[in-house]
Amino acid sequence: MDDTQHSQQLALFLASTAHDMKNSISVLSGTLERLLDGAASQANTADPQFAQMAQMLYQTRRLNDNLMQLLALYKQVGQPEYPFDVQPIPAIELAEQVAALGRVLLQSRGIAFEVEVDPDLIWHLDEDLIVGVVSHAVNNAVNYTRDRIRLALSQIDEVLEIRVEDNGDGYPQALLDAGAEAMSGVASGVDFRTNSAGLGLYFAREVARMHRHRGRHGAVRLENGGLLGGGCFILTLP
Amino acid sequence: MNSPLERKAEQIDWAGKNYLVVDDFIGVRQLLRESLRSLGARNIDQAASGGEAIALLAKTRYDVVLCDFNLGDGKNGQQVLEEARVRNFLLPSSVWMMVSAEKSVESVMGAAEHQPDAYLVKPITEGVLLTRLNRAWHRKQVFRPIDQAYAEKDYLRAARLCDEQIAASRVHETELLRMKARLMEKSGEPEKAREAYERVLAGREYQWARSGLAKIRMVNGELEQARQMFLGVIAENRYYIDAYDQLAQVYQHMGKYEEACTILERATKLSPNSVPRQRNLGKVCLKLGNVALAEKAFRKCIAIGEYSVRRTPDAYFGLARVCGLKNDPKEALVLLGVAQREFGAEHPDMPLRAKITEGLVYHESGDYRHARKAGDELETQLNARPERPDVPTCLEMATLLFAVGVKDAPVELLCYVARNNHDNAVLLDEVQAIFDKARMGEEGAELIRAAKKEASDLMNQGVLLWKTGKLGEAVAWMRTARNKLPNNQRILFNAAQVLVSHMKEKGYDELMAAEAHEVLAHVDQLQPGQQRFAQLMEQLAALVPKAEEAAAEEEPPAPPEPAA
Repeated sequence: MDDTQHSQQLALFLASTAHDMKNSISVLSGTLERLLDGAASQANTADPQFAQMAQMLYQTRRLNDNLMQLLALYKQVGQPEYPFDVQPIPAIELAEQVAALGRVLLQSRGIAFEVEVDPDLIWHLDEDLIVGVVSHAVNNAVNYTRDRIRLALSQIDEVLEIRVEDNGDGYPQALLDAGAEAMSGVASGVDFRTNSAGLGLYFAREVARMHRHRGRHGAVRLENGGLLGGGCFILTLP
Repeated sequence: MNSPLERKAEQIDWAGKNYLVVDDFIGVRQLLRESLRSLGARNIDQAASGGEAIALLAKTRYDVVLCDFNLGDGKNGQQVLEEARVRNFLLPSSVWMMVSAEKSVESVMGAAEHQPDAYLVKPITEGVLLTRLNRAWHRKQVFRPIDQAYAEKDYLRAARLCDEQIAASRVHETELLRMKARLMEKSGEPEKAREAYERVLAGREYQWARSGLAKIRMVNGELEQARQMFLGVIAENRYYIDAYDQLAQVYQHMGKYEEACTILERATKLSPNSVPRQRNLGKVCLKLGNVALAEKAFRKCIAIGEYSVRRTPDAYFGLARVCGLKNDPKEALVLLGVAQREFGAEHPDMPLRAKITEGLVYHESGDYRHARKAGDELETQLNARPERPDVPTCLEMATLLFAVGVKDAPVELLCYVARNNHDNAVLLDEVQAIFDKARMGEEGAELIRAAKKEASDLMNQGVLLWKTGKLGEAVAWMRTARNKLPNNQRILFNAAQVLVSHMKEKGYDELMAAEAHEVLAHVDQLQPGQQRFAQLMEQLAALVPKAEEAAAEEEPPAPPEPAA
């Protein structure tokens, strides 16, 4: 009895702290983006401070992603705790938002971003969650790619497939294993302390599984190869 | 970036629009302002609280409002939106974006009367903002003619426009079907509403569509099926709060007030800031005699109502009853005084309702002397003004007056109810039951018979004049009938029908059209969602001469219904 009360208070405390931090982080990353954008337009990209700022933006983004996932997770995404909100959304608008979210970071790192999407494709999904997961995958790919990232959305049979591919050396075996584990349902085995990618994958899997239709549910997987020959993050939604 | 993203049909000029940003955190306001500036926006106002926002909204018509849901003390974002809509501070084209730190329960509840055009979750970035603004804007274009017809209460025309748009815009198909279903419910066409919901469900499981089907079952009296469907919706998504409210309604129809109370309590835990939900919870608790919970609900209702344009005096009346049950009539009288001060201006029947509650409070606390005094005062009030409140209030009042020993006033009230609802068998049974309880069974039956005859004689004479082509006389006759029985829905519908027929035969007449509109608005207020209302509104709208269009093929008017 005392325990549940304690954990409720803790959850409340976490929630309000996280909200507060979220405000600060949005201001931080917004300001950084603006500064970077300004520097880029004045062709100051050679300045060593530019690279440092780009790194700061990357880290801020990671912080923000982690916070968003924590917020959603402590409220147990996947359990009926999150107000899950499916709507018909044009795939091209998903791509548009992911591209916009990544634009400054990708440009500052000199990474080319390619998008492939059928302009007439419409899918039923929770837009906020899916944009969050795919953006996180793009941010991740920044770490692994050489200089290209490809986002492709297409309907394959009865599912929407969203691919984030890069032209790096591919994911290390440990990460591929973590991906397989996350999907096989022994996710509790993923050690978030030693494997920072584990949290992101776990979150992505939960989000995918919430999307259900006619007895099937969404999934994520990691591969090496794809069109660019590097790492591939693949999200499928029924 | 050589992507398909640069393909964009019509670009919207976001630079020239007027913006309002509402957030209590200055950092977020600045960030949003910068984001808007990068879209080219020049005119951006800011408000740090709901009060400030309302003051600005009263002065300027904004094209886009970005409003945080959580604004600290005072009004929250939803209350600002409601007030802005009710006070007409928004243009039909205005886009309202509700912003929150996390996905809000409200965004999936679905049934809120005043929905924003979109919900945004922080952090808000330019790209996401632009995509959502564009989408909301295009959606407005698609819905504008439908919203217009809806505002004119021409639900059948609005539904036809939905059908036309469904063919043209696939992205909005689901939402258009939802709108169409709602319109069909409002037009008394549950079958067509059901078709629309099922069409949605054939593509994808949506809780609001499932809930819509359940509601149709409930209205049909298939309570057990409705109950199971609502339970299924809640099991799928426990944040779909509308299903809780509907389920509570099902339980009330079943007479299961304990269950209704439990489900409303769960709903208020998930979404506590709804005035109507807290009010319903309080009322159900009163029925159950759960005084403590009733008190809590009514107090919460008053507290959240403080900043809401949707507040009503009911919570004060409820709380006064609670005080009576706790043997504290003094506190009850204080509350009734407050209610009259706060709501007297907008609610003309406040003195009457306050006096009824006063009588109930004394009666329930066993103070029969004061109860009788309240009854006598009520009778004096009734004699002083000819207007009567709504039917439930009349019945409540008659019951109370009989109980405290007043005779003439309740008899008059019950006759009034019977005359104005002469074809509503269920209601007439209720009236008879009140007579029975007052040991006036036979006398009551005779009075009801006379009331029924008076109403049907008035109706039949009108129909006779109409059938024999004496349209002018029919119109005049129905005016007299309306004067005698101002709240009889059958008479009101026939009066409107005769006016429509007159205009169809003898040409459009602005005064007659206005009269018909007034009659129909009144009948819709008495009982919304009737088929004849939707049909007559459509016929009436079609009569208005159009600038160029020639009068196209017109269906012959349906004859007014003869009395049963």
